[in-house]
Amino acid sequence: MRSAFLIDLQYRASIAIWLIWGITEPVISLGIWWSIAATGAVGGFTREAFAQYFFGVALVNQATLSWDAWNIDRWIREGEMNYRLTRPIAPIHEAIADNVAYKGPTAAIVLTAWIVAAAFWPAVRIPFEPARWALAIVAIVLAAAIRFLNGYATGLLAFWTTRATALVELQFGISLFLSGRIAPLSLLPPPVAHAAEYLWFPYVLSFPVQVLTGTVTTAAEYTRGFAGQVIWLGIWLMLYLLVWSRGRRHYGAVGG
Amino acid sequence: MTSIRRTTTVLRAFWQLNWLEELQYRGNFIASLLGTVFWLLMAILTAALYFQHTSKLGGWEFWDVVVLLGIFNALAGVVETVLRPGIGHLPADVRSGALDLVLVRPVDAQFYVSFRRLDVWRLADVVLGLALAGYAFARTGRAIGAWELITFVVTFAVAIAVVYAIWVTLMSLAFWFVAVENMAALFDALFEAARYPVSAYPGALRFLFVYLIPIAWTTTIPASALTGRLRPALALWALAVGIAALGASRLLWRVALKRYTSAGG
Repeated sequence: MRSAFLIDLQYRASIAIWLIWGITEPVISLGIWWSIAATGAVGGFTREAFAQYFFGVALVNQATLSWDAWNIDRWIREGEMNYRLTRPIAPIHEAIADNVAYKGPTAAIVLTAWIVAAAFWPAVRIPFEPARWALAIVAIVLAAAIRFLNGYATGLLAFWTTRATALVELQFGISLFLSGRIAPLSLLPPPVAHAAEYLWFPYVLSFPVQVLTGTVTTAAEYTRGFAGQVIWLGIWLMLYLLVWSRGRRHYGAVGG
Repeated sequence: MTSIRRTTTVLRAFWQLNWLEELQYRGNFIASLLGTVFWLLMAILTAALYFQHTSKLGGWEFWDVVVLLGIFNALAGVVETVLRPGIGHLPADVRSGALDLVLVRPVDAQFYVSFRRLDVWRLADVVLGLALAGYAFARTGRAIGAWELITFVVTFAVAIAVVYAIWVTLMSLAFWFVAVENMAALFDALFEAARYPVSAYPGALRFLFVYLIPIAWTTTIPASALTGRLRPALALWALAVGIAALGASRLLWRVALKRYTSAGG
């Protein structure tokens, strides 16, 4: 993990660009909703509520980003997977170290930016409630784990197909809506929002953001959210284990 | 004049090779086409979601915004066809010293670097984008006049010039900061904002997009021209911006190239 962090440090300029890349999307959504809400609240969301929501999206997104599918794709295509397979530990450990080393510092930068913004712009100040913030951290960590396993397991499909990253992009496109990326879930048409609850999408973004901004209030909502996170974490963990063991054998079978 | 003719001859030869090379990968064409259709659909659904909660976005109605989305996709197609495979490779060439091989050639280096490759399959994005713009335009129920068509063609050319200038600017930074390899991602991020008319953004962002990162000139202006909102004065301004963008890119290229000392130092 230390070496992953030191490698990251060498590419500060690149990381700054990825940061901007991650932030523009919520900023654009916020800009549009801000204009739409000019004449009053939209579906219960005031301008301030939108601002808090999308600052939350930027932070949670930065802390839960998933890019491993592209790495795995490269590892398998360029044969880098081979030496990784000879190591005594599975490559997922290296990927986890990479993820923690990258997301920790960059999420801290986004958080700092938020605090600075809050000093000048009261709209994005969220109430100080240590207990809820602690719950939000738990929700964010769980979300990061789900999204990581989801991306990693999908990426491992590269053992069989050369278009595994396309599947990741497909999921990303769907997550624009079902994760609450471009709008809070409650603003989606009700059937769509309802369908989302049966998938993992809301638990990787929408739920942690709502905990953070204080729109999750009742114990029942908390229970349902965390239960959903744990269930989906379990499902994606099992899928990962399945794809990893099958894929490794398949990889060996074709001669590497 | 002969140098221009020589450059175009060289480019034509390169494009022919490209074309033959790309023909081998017809599977990529289907994949990229499916990808484009999928993202177009997502973009239209996003706009539709906004319009669930409002009747106008910065004074634009739904189908007007779809016209703009079509133009956005066409411009993105130009980027994917020419700019990303061409000038998008500049930072890598600077780092590896491969630019030497370009500079010793008897053709204009900027021209060559910019237009050396043509990912022909991505031209489908341009066609698809323009087709969507055309369809959405029909849905707005407007009739097209000569003025709208002429200003659209001119402002679309201006848009390409502005996008090109932004790419030259970003990529030329490689001459100063060699380690920057994901400049293209910066463009992708900023260009995302061009999916909507600038009037749909709050004042501060609008200022940013018109003057500092001039993406307002890339999609909003051509879409305004097509939907008949472009004032003649603004059309002239757009023309000036386009010429200025090309001039600035040329100037920047000259200044940047002076810093180039090849990889060996």
